[in-house]
Amino acid sequence: MSEGKRNPAIRYLLVFVVMFVIIAPFYWIYSSSLKESSAIVSQAPTLLPPSITFEHYANLLSSSDYPIYLANSIVVSAATMVITVALSTSAAYGLYRLPFPGRKTLYRLILLAYIFPGSLLLIPLYVMLSNFKLLDSQVALIVVNVTFAAPFSVWLLKAFFASIPFELEEAAALDGANWLQTLLLVLVPLASPGVASVAIFAFITSWTEYMFASVLIVSDANRTLPVGLAGIIGQYVVDWGLLLAGAGATTLPIILLFVLIGRYFVRGLLEGGVKA
Amino acid sequence: MALVAPLVIWLLLTIAYPIFSLIRLSFLDVGIIGTGGDFVGLANYQKVLSLRTFAPSMGRSLVWVLGNGVLQTVLAFIAALVLNLPFRGRALARTWVILPWIVPTVVAVIVWRWMLGTSGGIVNTVLLRLGLVQEQIGFFSTGASAMTSLVVMNSWRFFPLLTIIILAGMQSIGEDLYAAAAVDGASAWRRFLHITLPGLQPVLFVMGLVGTLWSVNIFDVIYLVTGGGPSRATMTMPVLIYDMAFLQYRLGRAAAAAVLMALVVSLFTVLFIYFLAPRGDDQDEAWR
Repeated sequence: MSEGKRNPAIRYLLVFVVMFVIIAPFYWIYSSSLKESSAIVSQAPTLLPPSITFEHYANLLSSSDYPIYLANSIVVSAATMVITVALSTSAAYGLYRLPFPGRKTLYRLILLAYIFPGSLLLIPLYVMLSNFKLLDSQVALIVVNVTFAAPFSVWLLKAFFASIPFELEEAAALDGANWLQTLLLVLVPLASPGVASVAIFAFITSWTEYMFASVLIVSDANRTLPVGLAGIIGQYVVDWGLLLAGAGATTLPIILLFVLIGRYFVRGLLEGGVKA
Repeated sequence: MALVAPLVIWLLLTIAYPIFSLIRLSFLDVGIIGTGGDFVGLANYQKVLSLRTFAPSMGRSLVWVLGNGVLQTVLAFIAALVLNLPFRGRALARTWVILPWIVPTVVAVIVWRWMLGTSGGIVNTVLLRLGLVQEQIGFFSTGASAMTSLVVMNSWRFFPLLTIIILAGMQSIGEDLYAAAAVDGASAWRRFLHITLPGLQPVLFVMGLVGTLWSVNIFDVIYLVTGGGPSRATMTMPVLIYDMAFLQYRLGRAAAAAVLMALVVSLFTVLFIYFLAPRGDDQDEAWR
């Protein structure tokens, strides 16, 4: 494209501005969370901490319930991830690789579920889970999170499954593999970036969910991170050091996950989008 | 078929059945969960429609959706056009641009409240230093500024996803079209108007629909920052419904409000598809 001929300095300036809008708030969380309490609320904030302290992180781990919330979030997110990967991989395989009547309609219905508003489902799911005596349990959150993660995961897997030649499956069938062996030994390894994308998406969906977690969980011991952190915000005197350390610590696992498999995730979004 | 069944059964139990029970609930006199349950016909609906808080909440939801739609579209187009330029580290930038979308809302809430605050908030500090304002701005203290601040916060979270989707759409537009236009001496603006925009139409259609459905439902960011205040100025429909169901313990009435909102949203969806669905091509493709 002819934009390439333009002044590279302007190009890099534009890229800097866009990335600044994205990244600067995160920089500000981490930079501020390492400052002394007095420096945090100073009327003349500095870009770098004048002196680095880990006291807010230490407070977070020792004098708040953060470790409990963290453990709960890990359990809920990991379970959501495993169930979502299992359900959506098998469904995507069925939908994209095995022709059967009504396939397209079924696919569209699953996508419809994906755009279904969560706030509409909040009240009836609350009533339903309460009838099953599942309120205030992590099972309730896992059930809900899988519901919101799975439809999009099926869509995300489409691009990856579509890129695998059918000949491979035929060869596997000739060698006497059944469908389960074909799926697990041939297709899943080849679509592994897609499966990784789905895993990261399911994990993040669960890690960030607030609305259902705030209603379905009653006791402090079962809270997940978003609701737990929100509870700290709600306290009478806002301890910004503690909150910023909480925000930083909650974001860190996501950043680490993203360093490992973020490019597959965005590739999945990009390739899924091309077929839009 | 057997492979798809577990997911379908799961979704039937957690989406289809709850929708059915929501509609049933809206005709019942239920307060706190586990109590009451007499059939009261349309009484819940009559009550909701007569509430002084109902129509303004619908209006605020409309303002919310329009504000977010416009701001996110503008930001996403700018970001996508920039990230589509050739530059070193482009793949890296395209990966990390999605970051705001994948962090918990509560983290976004903490950082923005922190940045927009009046004690050491970086935004106020910068504005004061540059002499753009004379005194600190209370970003959440008046109705209009609270709504504006919330729209900005929420747009910051969601425009990265839209950016990626637009980038994906841009990739599917053939380079040869741009080459031909360059030969004809078309300006960058004309190329954007006559090649990029039409090429993105199917993508924009899906994003317009899905984005609207998502943003009308946003609850957490509003609830966490303002709780619907000051004096209900940011109380959109989801906040109103949550308030009725879980703070006032009127489940039946809240269910009726949710059904009414769903009807309005469905009407919008039908009209949107009817008037704006890309024509000519296989319409199925637009749903993918």
